[in-house]
Amino acid sequence: MKNKLSRFAVPYEIWMAIFVVAPIVIMVVYAFTSQNGGFTLENFIKMGGYTEVFLRSFKMALVATAVCLLIGYPVSYYMSREGKGFQRIAMVLIMLPMWMNFLLRTYSWITILDNNGLLNQLFQRIGLITLYNNITGRELTFFPMLNTQGAVVLGMVYNYLPFMILPIYSVIIKLDHSLLEAARDLGANSATVFRKVILPLSLPGVLSGITMVFVPSVSTFAISQMLGGGTELLLGDLIERQFLGGAYNPQLGAAISLVMMVIVVVCMLVMNRFGEGEEQAVML
Amino acid sequence: MRAKVENRLGDRILMGLVFLFLYAPIFILIIFSFNAGASSSVWKGFSLHWYEELIHNRLILSSVYTTLLVSLLATVIATVAGTFAAIGFYSMRRQRRDALMAVNNIPMMNADIVTGVSLCLLFVVFFNCWGAFAGWINSIQSAVTLPTKLSLGFGTMLIAHVCFNIPYVILAVGPKLRQMDRNLIDAAQDLGCTWMQAFWKVVIPEIKPGIISGALTAFTMSVDDFIISYFTAGSSTSTLAMTIYGMTKKRVSPQINAVSTVLFTTVLILLVIINVREANMQKRVDRSTKQAVVRQPSRGMRILGRVAAGVLALALLATLIVTGRAANARPVVNVCSWGEYIDEDLITEFEETTGIAVNYQTVESNEALYSLIEMGGADFDVIVPSDYMIARLIEEGMLAELDYGNIPNYELIGEQFKGLSYDPENKYTVPYTWGTLGIIYNTAMVDEEITSWDAMFDPKYAGQVLMINNSRDALAAALLDLGYDLNTTDPEELRAAFQRLKEAKDAGVYQAFVMDQVFQKMEGGNAAIAMYYAGDYLTMLDNNEDLAFVIPDEGSNWFVDAMCVLKSGQHKREAEEWINFIASTEANLANMDYIWYGSPNVEALEQYPAYYEELYEEELDPELFEIMAPPAETLDRCIMYTDLPQNVLALYNDLWNQLGV
Repeated sequence: MKNKLSRFAVPYEIWMAIFVVAPIVIMVVYAFTSQNGGFTLENFIKMGGYTEVFLRSFKMALVATAVCLLIGYPVSYYMSREGKGFQRIAMVLIMLPMWMNFLLRTYSWITILDNNGLLNQLFQRIGLITLYNNITGRELTFFPMLNTQGAVVLGMVYNYLPFMILPIYSVIIKLDHSLLEAARDLGANSATVFRKVILPLSLPGVLSGITMVFVPSVSTFAISQMLGGGTELLLGDLIERQFLGGAYNPQLGAAISLVMMVIVVVCMLVMNRFGEGEEQAVML
Repeated sequence: MRAKVENRLGDRILMGLVFLFLYAPIFILIIFSFNAGASSSVWKGFSLHWYEELIHNRLILSSVYTTLLVSLLATVIATVAGTFAAIGFYSMRRQRRDALMAVNNIPMMNADIVTGVSLCLLFVVFFNCWGAFAGWINSIQSAVTLPTKLSLGFGTMLIAHVCFNIPYVILAVGPKLRQMDRNLIDAAQDLGCTWMQAFWKVVIPEIKPGIISGALTAFTMSVDDFIISYFTAGSSTSTLAMTIYGMTKKRVSPQINAVSTVLFTTVLILLVIINVREANMQKRVDRSTKQAVVRQPSRGMRILGRVAAGVLALALLATLIVTGRAANARPVVNVCSWGEYIDEDLITEFEETTGIAVNYQTVESNEALYSLIEMGGADFDVIVPSDYMIARLIEEGMLAELDYGNIPNYELIGEQFKGLSYDPENKYTVPYTWGTLGIIYNTAMVDEEITSWDAMFDPKYAGQVLMINNSRDALAAALLDLGYDLNTTDPEELRAAFQRLKEAKDAGVYQAFVMDQVFQKMEGGNAAIAMYYAGDYLTMLDNNEDLAFVIPDEGSNWFVDAMCVLKSGQHKREAEEWINFIASTEANLANMDYIWYGSPNVEALEQYPAYYEELYEEELDPELFEIMAPPAETLDRCIMYTDLPQNVLALYNDLWNQLGV
């Protein structure tokens, strides 16, 4: 029985060999190939010039992840303490935006943040801009918000916040309540219960949330192009540009992707070491 | 107790704020879908006309269809494959399973862009191998002819979606399998089941919730995906996300808001229905557990369910076959051009008179077009690149020689547009439009008259300038400003030009690097200065009277965009018919009126002022006509780009990447 069933996996093993392993092998080969087809390390040497892009991408993704965690954890925690009906509705409300394409949602922020956008119109109307000008002695007609790093981080937080809330929530909700009661019976106040019991037990959810926010943030290109105005490249922009954009060089693109992949995987491994023994929280 | 209540209030305020943050942009999108005006931030009254236009927008509707089709197919395939794989994994020895699970997790761990890029490379390598193989097969026998040129499309995108969906299914099914009592299978077999029966009657029902949640996750992921589709779908297939992305690079139509509203409402209704049903079921279960009755769907319900599934599958198959047929039945021509670069009525007219379907796509810049073709992402027949890119494509042997016998309207093209440096023998091209590059500025925001490229680098205008987002034009502005030749191959001069750009960028001069987003930004007064093309300036002027255009004193670039046919294209005959149609005087007049670029068609150019007068019952401002079709003395100050040697192009790319840093 057992052996027969294990044959079920054979087609998928072949599939993985072709569509998971082979593409990465090809990517590695590309990364070490020059544009004329020979072996080269030039693509990696060139990357030194992009250190700043790497740093900027990781910095912005870290900020976005931290903000998501700071907002997401309390929300998940509070949500888990509400009634069943509330929780159900809240979950639907958090999932719902994900069914609308993220580009649409991001696009909406352009109209909000633009120099003549809704927020600036609002500020104008309530006299905030005049007030600011009076205080600082400057002559702004609007607050520049779009095309800044802040706007990009905002876009990341906006799009990936549900990815932080869902895994944390799904871990907290499954916590064994008898454990909490036991802690209370043993004299812990609510702060101690939270610190000593809930927080450590919800760590797998936090780790999985961090992964799910950080990885797409560090590699995005649509968000940075839409909200960042293309003035400050992120890794995703740089890669996209080498393949389908304005600076055709797939070898260099493959090399950048490879380095980014390695850094991300190493980060993840280190982080998961942290929460070793804990089972990965399953999303959704 | 009281502290607790207050605490709750604080919690709820936080949650309320988070929901406001999540939903405010969505509601704004929805509200502005009912806006009478075209602006997405100024309210002009209630109207439904964006919804009316949406119904007639083939591009958006077909991309919604593509999205749903690819998501459904990928979900079905991934759910079946993933379930079997999960069962297989579960029955394995631990070591082997762990190893395979690690591989299985790769697509989930990896950033989407890495998955997309690596799959794209795989397909490109495969296409190249296939091309060689098919060529060899075709050469040794003549019974079957294999297509030698494959390109990215729906099939490759489907494979990619299946690829990233399967791991989610396995992840959802796996835990259910582990929870299952292993003895169940043995028990079933002891009771006389074959292992097949045991599988269908015991295993599947046991893991059903896992399968369903896996399928749901897969579907959500597919619908929401943009990045992987973007790299694997090529240019001819477009999901809704890709269409929206394309639109954000141009003028965004409120039709997009209308689509979002429709989608949002649909999903909302679906979710409400599902939740109400689930809540009801929960209640029923609660009640029935009291009576210790096991809930079992009735036999009739089960049959109904199966019939429904069967009908759904058949319908899916039928739509696939029908759409496949439709695609094959009609001759097609795949045209690729720039955004806002054709009077779209011409497409309809061509389709109606010739019966050839036009698959019209746009890309952002010459460089992006080149990347797309090189990556095998394009199955274009006709492209409309600019002069220098044409030279490069000819040199790399990518263009097909035209049969001018099929393009009689070529005779109407003015002599000054023939035999130009990019195609000296007139073998590959039919000019489409011509024009100049210059500076556009808003006179309400800029006090002085701009006459020099300096304006594009002046810290005085910090945050007000839109730099053009392609390396050739941007560096040309800097080269001209420094007094160098815009076709220079001297690395030092190029580096100096780069430095000029870099310093301006570091000083915060550039609000953004844009291509066709420039329309909305300049028209809406969101930026004061931009460099762009003369014809597009005239389009903007229509929407904002304060805008002015200047060809700076240092000179500028003049360009010809010409229609060419790619060697790899499959519809040369149709392509030539399209080219001939577009080269006609009527089409050129319509195009001139719509896109405001100068026409290379002598008759059209001469007749345009009269045509304008007849159409609008007012005289065409000669100054505007001069911007549209500059006189010889202006053109004398402008130089055409030439193709650059390989090493200079590489330098351009490097500098362009560096500028982003």
